[in-house]
Amino acid sequence: MLRLLGLFTLLALALALALSVGARPVTPAVALEALRAYDPTNPAHVTLMAIRLPRLAAGLIAGGALGLAGTVMQVMTRNPLADPGLLGVNAGAAFALLIGATALGTSDATSVALLTFPGAALASALVFTLGGGLRGDVGPVRLTLAGAALNALLLSLVTAIVLIRQDTLDMFRFWVAGSLTQAASRPLMEMALIAAAGGILALAIAPQIEALSLGSALSRSLGTKPRRVQAAALAVVTLCTGAAVAVAGPIAFLGLMVPPLARRVAGHALRRELLASALLGAALLLFADTLGRVVMPPAEVRAGIMTALIGGPIFLWVARRLRPGATA
Amino acid sequence: MKGALTLCLLLLCATLAALMLGPVQLSPALLWQGLRTGEGPGALVLGTIRGPRVVTALGAGAVLGLSGALFQALFRNPLAAPDIMGFTAGAGLTIIAAIALGLTLPPPLLAAGGGLAAALLVALLSQRRGQATPPLTMILVGLGIGFIASALSSFLLTLLPHPQAAEAQRWLTGSLAARDWTHVAQVWLIGALLAALALAQMRRLAALELGEDLAAGLGLRVGRARIALAGTAVLLAAAGVAVAGPVPFIALMSGPLGARITGARRLRGQMLSAAGTGALVLVVADLAARAALPGIQLPAGVMTGLLGAPYLLWRLSREMEKGEL
Repeated sequence: MLRLLGLFTLLALALALALSVGARPVTPAVALEALRAYDPTNPAHVTLMAIRLPRLAAGLIAGGALGLAGTVMQVMTRNPLADPGLLGVNAGAAFALLIGATALGTSDATSVALLTFPGAALASALVFTLGGGLRGDVGPVRLTLAGAALNALLLSLVTAIVLIRQDTLDMFRFWVAGSLTQAASRPLMEMALIAAAGGILALAIAPQIEALSLGSALSRSLGTKPRRVQAAALAVVTLCTGAAVAVAGPIAFLGLMVPPLARRVAGHALRRELLASALLGAALLLFADTLGRVVMPPAEVRAGIMTALIGGPIFLWVARRLRPGATA
Repeated sequence: MKGALTLCLLLLCATLAALMLGPVQLSPALLWQGLRTGEGPGALVLGTIRGPRVVTALGAGAVLGLSGALFQALFRNPLAAPDIMGFTAGAGLTIIAAIALGLTLPPPLLAAGGGLAAALLVALLSQRRGQATPPLTMILVGLGIGFIASALSSFLLTLLPHPQAAEAQRWLTGSLAARDWTHVAQVWLIGALLAALALAQMRRLAALELGEDLAAGLGLRVGRARIALAGTAVLLAAAGVAVAGPVPFIALMSGPLGARITGARRLRGQMLSAAGTGALVLVVADLAARAALPGIQLPAGVMTGLLGAPYLLWRLSREMEKGEL
């Protein structure tokens, strides 16, 4: 309980920093004032309401959703290297988004954003199958390499599209690393609802996932239907990753870092772990975004690059400790 | 023998096609005239645009293919390749870093430095105290180093002003646009030197393939031989990256594909067919990228990505069938 309280404090700190730090510092007093009596002629108020608040919301949605998706993936595949970014699910969602924007034009942002879901669903099903998921035996090396291959394939296709259609170049910059800068023009409310639906589904199936992670034979004897649980877990991953990509682009490594930390905080109980990963994911992404704003002004380092730079070493650390050949 | 002939024939056809096709089509007669006399419309196109481009592609493909085959033989694993293990990404990163920082050092030197640094990191980080390093751990660690190097590269990209950034992006994808004869000289001279060095180490490699204990029993200094071979392979990859960018998947595909085409059994033959196949794949990929969409020059790396990623996935499922992953 105390630890969960600690998480909330961490998130509050992240929120406060995300609102106040930046090219135009905003004090907490001004922030409160802007929320109570918004004055459109006050530049600090405008910065806060038009830029920082949407950005904050996007960070909360994407960070929380990616934390959840990462935890579900890692528990399902019993693979500590699983992450929606590294396994190509982000790339699938973003690719679908780009195709939609190219074909339909970017005028209808919401319906284009909805395309992330079929993209994420296809990519996660594909990579899970290729990694050996249908045999109930998902090796970490195999899964990671399958993800890398899927990423490379999609990146090649995207590069081709971008070079053909110059007007998608800005989409591309967004595509490659993920960032919260375009948050104001994203369908935040819709995606928040979808991510929340994913989170609720995850909480609902948590006991079955836990049973499944004991091994398929044991879980069957406990009355779990593995295929059904796998399908539900893929749905969670799809909803969460799709929503995250729709508001923030493909941010990698967040889903890799969050689950082990969440387990430290919450212990081995999947429901609490899921809650903790949503909170931690949101806090980490907001920290990464804020840090990216201040490390080298006036340039901004995109949040996706910050998470990669923090998460890359963690990936290496996990990879070193893995026993290749073992499926766990 | 028949297989080697097939590969040579394929290479010849691909090279001729790459020289003839393009915005200005050259008929065989014009091509011949240009090559023989150095005059006429053919000579201009060949001498300044297509000639250096195609010959650079041949060289870069060959060194990348050879590098991949060396790694695959050294680790006895078809997934060990400089592009999978982050060495080409490391080589690319140093070149982008030099552009971003305004340094003017020769690209081959930069690429070699970055590639070797990445390799050293991979070797150090995948070591475990008192145990032999399993190749699969090394591949995973290499993937991680590659992720980090690409993240740093795209970070540096954002620091560049727009036209330069677009150019750098193209280069990072792996492109052969606007090559000139200095690129040709670079990749062929350095490549020939390194290839000779690699072929001179074939007996050591053959001994290593028997397994470490047996190799040591034959009087080989195993550690030293490994370092020399891996170093040569990293430098070969860097030579390719310096002129063509980190083109994905050439190194991974060329070895097995070459062995399939030529049927080579012995190491030397396998290495040569990997080099030939690398050259073939890169020339064909570049031609396909140029010709795929009229009026648009795609970088060759887009094509090798489209070809190579399905190959990697297929390879994975094969390895899975064999139960080796």
